[in-house]
Amino acid sequence: MNIENNIKLWSSLGMRATFGLIAMELAKYHPNLMITTSDVSTSAGLDRYKKKYPDKFVDVGIAEQNLIGVSAGLSSEGFKVISTTFAPFQTLRCCEQIKVNLGYMKNKICMVGLASGLVLGNLGFTHCCIEDIGSLRSIPNISIVVPSDPFELFKTLNEAIDYKNSVYIRLTAGSNTKIINSKDYKFKIGKAVEILPGEDVAIIGCGNILGNCLEAASILREKKIQCSVVNMHTIKPIDNEKIKDIAKKNKLIVTVEEHNVLGGLGTSVAEVLSNERNNCKLVRVGINDFYSSGGSYEYLKNIYGLSVEKILETVLSNT
Amino acid sequence: MNINKLKNFAKNIRKNIIFTAFKAGSKSAHVGGALSAADIMAVLYSEIMKIKKSKIIDDNRDRFILSKGHACLALYSALVEKKFLKKKDLETFESDGSNLLGHPIINKLSGIEFSTGSLGMGLSLGVGVALAAKRKKKNYKTYVVLGDGECNEGSIWESILSANHFKLDNMIIIVDRNNFQQTGKNSSIMDLRNLKNKFKSFGCETVEIDGHNIKKIYETLINKKLNNKPKVIVANTIKGKGFKLFENNNNWHHSAITKSIYKEILKEL
Amino acid sequence: MKNKNKYIEIFTKSLSIDKKKFNEKIKYNDIPEWDSIGHMTLMSDLETGFNISIETDDIIDFSSFKKGMEILKKYKIF
Repeated sequence: MNIENNIKLWSSLGMRATFGLIAMELAKYHPNLMITTSDVSTSAGLDRYKKKYPDKFVDVGIAEQNLIGVSAGLSSEGFKVISTTFAPFQTLRCCEQIKVNLGYMKNKICMVGLASGLVLGNLGFTHCCIEDIGSLRSIPNISIVVPSDPFELFKTLNEAIDYKNSVYIRLTAGSNTKIINSKDYKFKIGKAVEILPGEDVAIIGCGNILGNCLEAASILREKKIQCSVVNMHTIKPIDNEKIKDIAKKNKLIVTVEEHNVLGGLGTSVAEVLSNERNNCKLVRVGINDFYSSGGSYEYLKNIYGLSVEKILETVLSNT
Repeated sequence: MNINKLKNFAKNIRKNIIFTAFKAGSKSAHVGGALSAADIMAVLYSEIMKIKKSKIIDDNRDRFILSKGHACLALYSALVEKKFLKKKDLETFESDGSNLLGHPIINKLSGIEFSTGSLGMGLSLGVGVALAAKRKKKNYKTYVVLGDGECNEGSIWESILSANHFKLDNMIIIVDRNNFQQTGKNSSIMDLRNLKNKFKSFGCETVEIDGHNIKKIYETLINKKLNNKPKVIVANTIKGKGFKLFENNNNWHHSAITKSIYKEILKEL
Repeated sequence: MKNKNKYIEIFTKSLSIDKKKFNEKIKYNDIPEWDSIGHMTLMSDLETGFNISIETDDIIDFSSFKKGMEILKKYKIF
C-alpha cells in the first residue's frame, strides 16, 4: 500500500469514508471480522463493504442498545467485531450496555463513533458529541483513542482489532481533514506522539483539531515562542510518562479537544499532574460545559475557543 | 421422557432455591421469581438442552441465557443438579468474594454464559449468539428466559425485531409470565396486556402454556419446527410457586427466609 | 488532444475500467466502482494528474465523463 498516495486520498475523503476503505482491507486479513451497525452503512463509508462481504456485516437497524448486545454476543462466539454509528448513539444511547457487556463481562469489540465533536453542528447538538470520552472513561476495561487524521485511523484500527480489550475510536472532522501525519510514523495505542518539538509551552491535543493547534504553533514561532505540539491520541490508557515529562520541561500546558473540558483529555492530563509536584500551569481548551446554538463547524469551533486565533490567544494570555 | 424424573428435578431445584436463600439470611434473595421459573428450568436442564459436564464449553453446546438475571437461584440450583456446581457452592451465595452473587456472573466453566441482571440485555446477547450460530453454520440452540416485567424494556423489542429479521429459528425465548414485577402487578405498573399477541405480531412463532405443567413444557420445547422464525413460549406461572406462603405474594420478590420460615416451608416438600 | 488522452487514462485507471471497453457516455453510479468513494478517488486522482485543486461545487456537479470535460475547461485543462 503506497502510504503517501493514500494519505492525500484519505484526507480528502475524511475519516468516515476512510473507515469504509479500511474495512475492506481488514476483511482480507481477518476472516472472522464482523462489522455491525445501526442503519448507518452509508455514513460510515460501508456501502462497498456491505456489498462485497454481506456475511461479515450485520445491521440491527436504529437500535443501539441491541447493537451492543448483539455485537457482544457475536464477539463471545469468536468474531472480531467492529460496531459503528454516530458518536452520541454509539456511546451515550447504549452506555449501560457498554458497561455491562464490554466493561463488566469484557466481551471485546471495537466501537467507531462517527462524526464526534462539533462537525455536525448545523444539525444541532443531538448530532454533536462532546460527552463521549467523559462517559466512557469511568467504565473499566474500555480504551479510548481519538485518531488525529484518517491515516492515524488506519493505524488505530489495525492495532485495535487485536488489542487486549474493547476500544472506542472517536472520529472527528468531515471530508477534507487536515493532514497531521504526512509520512509514516510509529504508532502505538497508549503512546503520545510529539508532532512538533519545542520548549516552555506545550499544546496537547487529540483529534483533527490538532490541525488548528499546529497552525497556532506556527504563528507562535513567528512570535519567538517555541511551542511544542503533542498528539495524545489515546485518552485511556493515558500516557502518564509523557505528561510528567512535558510538565518537567514546560511552564504552560494547553490541552485542546473537541469535547467538554470536564471529563475528557484536559481532565485526564489534570489527573496525572495532580499526582506530581510541578511548576506547570494547565489550561484546558474545549467546550466549557454548555450547549451553544447550532451552526457550522467553523462557527462552533470559534465559539468554543477552538479556532486557530482563539487557541493562539489562549497561549499568549497565559504565557 | 420420564415425567417423574423431570418432576423430581424440579423439586430439587426448589429445594436448592430455598436452601440457598435461607443461607443468605438477612441479605435476602429473589425467591419469588426463581420459584416461578423452576419448572421451566427443570425441563430445559434435565431433558432439552444439549450440555454436558465433560464438554462444558464445547462449541456445539446449547446456550442458555437467564435474561431475568435476578432469578439466578433457579439457575444455580439447576447447575447444581447438573453437577456443574457443587451443593456447597450454594452456601457462598452473596458472600464476600463469592462468584455466586445476587445476579449471575459470567463463568463459562460453571455453565454461566453471561453476566445478566440489568434487565432487557440478555435477549440482545442471545440474538448475537444465535446469529453467530447461523454464520458459523452450527446447530446449537440458544435459549433465553425473560421476565414479564422485563418486557417493559424497549431493548427487548429491539431484540425481537432483529431476531425475526435475521430469521433466528435456532432461538427459543421463554417468558416467565408470573404477572408481577418488583413493586406490584404488571397490570398496575405497566400493563403488558396480551403478551402473546405482541410477540406474534412481531413475527415470532408464539404459544402460551401453563408454565408449571411439566409435560406441556416438555412437549412445547421438544417440538422442533424450523420455519425461519424465533420461537416464543409465554409460560403462565405463579410467582413463588411451590410454597403456599410465597405463591402470588409479591413480598417474596426479594426477601429473607428466616429459620422459622424455612422450617415451615420445608414441610411442603 | 493530449489532455483528452490523459483524462481518459486517469478516468479508466481510477475507476478500474477496461480502456478497450470504455464508453464516454459513462455517468456517476453507472458502475459499482463509481460510487461516492470512487468519485472522491477520481477527483483526487484528477487533481494529482493535472496538478489542480477542484472546488467543492465542481466536485458535486461532476456527474459524468462529458460533464467533467466541461468542468475541467474552467481549470484550463480543455
